[in-house]
Amino acid sequence: MITWKRIKLENFTFPKIYDYKKEFIRLDGEVPVGLRLDKIYDTIDRTKINWLNSNEIYGLGKEFLSFVNEFYNSGISLYLNSNIKLNNPIVVEFNMDKENPTVIDKNIIIAEPNSEATILFHYCTDEEVEAFHNGFTEIHAKENSSLTIIKIQRMNDLSQNFDTNIAYVKGEGKVNWITVELGSQISGSNYTTFLDEVASESKLSSIYLGDGNRKMDLSYSMIHKGPRSISNIESRGALMDNSRKVFRGNLDFRRGSRLAKGSEEEYVLLLDPSVKSDSIPALLCEEDDVQGEHAASAGQINESQLFYLMSRGLREREAKKLIIEGAFRPVIDRIPIKELKEIIDLEVERRLINE
Amino acid sequence: MGRKKTYIEDIDRGIYDIRNEFTYKYKADKGLTPEIIKDISREKNEPKWMTDFRLKSLEIYNSMPIPTWGPDLSDLNMDEIVTYIRPDTEMKHSWDDVPEEIKKTFQLLGLPQAERESLAGVGAQYDSEVVYHNIRKELVDQGVVYMDMETALIEYEDIVREYFMTLVPPTAHKFAALHGAVWSGGSFVYVPEGVDVDIPLQSYFRLNAPGAGQFEHTLIIVEKGSRLHFIEGCSAPKYKVNNLHAGCVELFVKENATLRYSTIENWSKNMYNLNTKRAVVDKNGTIEWISGSFGSKVSMLYPMSILRGEGARSEFTGITFASKGQHLDTGTKVVHAAPYTTSTVNSKSISKDGGYAFYRGLLKVAPNAYGCKSTVSCESLMLDNESKSDTLPIIELNNDDIDIGHEAKIGRISDEAIFYLMSRGISEEEAKAMIVRGFVEPITKELPLEYAVELNNLINIELEGTIG
Repeated sequence: MITWKRIKLENFTFPKIYDYKKEFIRLDGEVPVGLRLDKIYDTIDRTKINWLNSNEIYGLGKEFLSFVNEFYNSGISLYLNSNIKLNNPIVVEFNMDKENPTVIDKNIIIAEPNSEATILFHYCTDEEVEAFHNGFTEIHAKENSSLTIIKIQRMNDLSQNFDTNIAYVKGEGKVNWITVELGSQISGSNYTTFLDEVASESKLSSIYLGDGNRKMDLSYSMIHKGPRSISNIESRGALMDNSRKVFRGNLDFRRGSRLAKGSEEEYVLLLDPSVKSDSIPALLCEEDDVQGEHAASAGQINESQLFYLMSRGLREREAKKLIIEGAFRPVIDRIPIKELKEIIDLEVERRLINE
Repeated sequence: MGRKKTYIEDIDRGIYDIRNEFTYKYKADKGLTPEIIKDISREKNEPKWMTDFRLKSLEIYNSMPIPTWGPDLSDLNMDEIVTYIRPDTEMKHSWDDVPEEIKKTFQLLGLPQAERESLAGVGAQYDSEVVYHNIRKELVDQGVVYMDMETALIEYEDIVREYFMTLVPPTAHKFAALHGAVWSGGSFVYVPEGVDVDIPLQSYFRLNAPGAGQFEHTLIIVEKGSRLHFIEGCSAPKYKVNNLHAGCVELFVKENATLRYSTIENWSKNMYNLNTKRAVVDKNGTIEWISGSFGSKVSMLYPMSILRGEGARSEFTGITFASKGQHLDTGTKVVHAAPYTTSTVNSKSISKDGGYAFYRGLLKVAPNAYGCKSTVSCESLMLDNESKSDTLPIIELNNDDIDIGHEAKIGRISDEAIFYLMSRGISEEEAKAMIVRGFVEPITKELPLEYAVELNNLINIELEGTIG
């Protein structure tokens, strides 16, 4: 039984897991040369990384990770040859329904040197179903490769979402994370990036919206091991109704990460008196020649902005919606698929105006 | 291409390390049993409720676990610590009556001189008991009470009983329970309504005995509209065995009152400093903490402000300097429990020579505390890469009508800043010294003069090569 104190997740136990029978890899046309993309259970060549024996505690915790390892029912294994650059994003979509209410996905992505790709994961529920997702995505970005990983979570308010993402970045490699959290009753997500070698880089942009009784535990870690490694975390969110969120941002400069730079910024808009917002930004440092900073701010919508918009004839709620959308816009615009962008816009609008 | 680094020597401990021969009148046995507690209480001729309180605290102590977070306390063996040592003297009101050797210690620490020049009252504790206590007559005439806790327990029993360990109950944590069981010494201050004490009071705590614990209790009540500045200083000579300091400070700041509480802690590096400090502030009152942590082997110190009256204010200014063999886990807690309360936290830390500085803070806003404002700023400077520096400020918000800002920074001195100063004709060494001094300046200007000078001296030593 698992208990998370801060979001009041008490005595949590895993539900029964069903097979996920739907197709989840969306690939238009031919598989590009140099890409091997398989469903995880088709893959004979299991990766040799023995992460469960690692002493570094990461992700949502051993219970969640072991559970994925034991019971995964979906997921991809993606292998990108050296020097291959994909122009179109690879889309992996899990649309949970009554027949397929559980997704336990295990994803392994390996990008060889100088390769480039964008991979988008979309978790949603189009039906009223108590869906459950617990996933683990492991990423290896080799020298000078560049990966953009987009995770969009818009499960319904009856569902539970748990997701662990870990990336290992080699010399001059780059991993960009974009995470959009709009749904589910309880959501725990963890993104950990190990900047293992010289000049490795990672950027994480996150937006989230808390409405109804949603509880979110969002944790983002950048672990600098390589010299001159660079990281950036930027999180913007809005909380309304009785929602509750915990933000954990860690910048960890390990010994040897000379001249590394890390920054972290969290901004949360609080829209109702009944919200709860915890922030735990940590700055850990074993190396003197680094630059690290974090900033967090929280508050209400700027009154003069609101007043200006209302003087132009907008109702308060519309004005607020506009301001929140404005804060989310830079992140939403980075999603490379037009239809999906529209779906997200509608979802944000529906949740903000839903009264 | 190694950059040159600046090596800053330790604070010259000189006078702090002078140890006197260990003499005493009464010494409790090592360790903790109800018998030892009863002995201490009997030795002090305490009322029965206090003896019972001590015994109850001991029970709580035995039932509580050692904290599992923060620094490692496994080296601290309570069975080896002597909890009560009565020095070989009675309490005096004139330095002339204090035994020569003890007087000399305090003279070297500059206490009698400071008393003549800049203090309104002084208390000096040596091991477990206060050996000297004095206050200017003008203040006595205005009704200000400043005395040792033992005397207060007899002369102001009702007040002490009303407030004693209500803010830091023995159930707060294991070392608060320990304090409740074996507390001894400390100061009691009562400032009546509308009195402005314009020169500071200072209590100095000196632990001379090896393998001992000091558990002084400071209780300050500042009534409506009054002002007080209280300075607490601590030091001890270094021994090979572990010493323990588990003091407790309870501050009650009433409506419109202002209390500034300054602490300069320079314990020796065999000391476990597990001190608990809390202030509760009523309507429009102000608590100002100035906290300098330089000494001790392990510190766990998080002064807490509870803003329970509308418009109450707290300000925390702290500096932590962790050097070789030190793990200083410090920070502050602020609880906004009423509307329109404001708080400011400004913390700086420096770590060097394998020292470990950890800022651990909590900012909590209760659901009813609307209109609150708070800014938290933490900066750390590392002077080499054997050291460690971590920052963990926790923010818990429980309503939407608040304005919270938090910033933290870590790093070395920027080359651009040095370059800029050098382009203005300042030498490289001087530029670096200026920047480090600038880093700690917001704190040093709040420190009592002699400590500010000491800190500056420390920074000026051997500024060669790049700092950082």
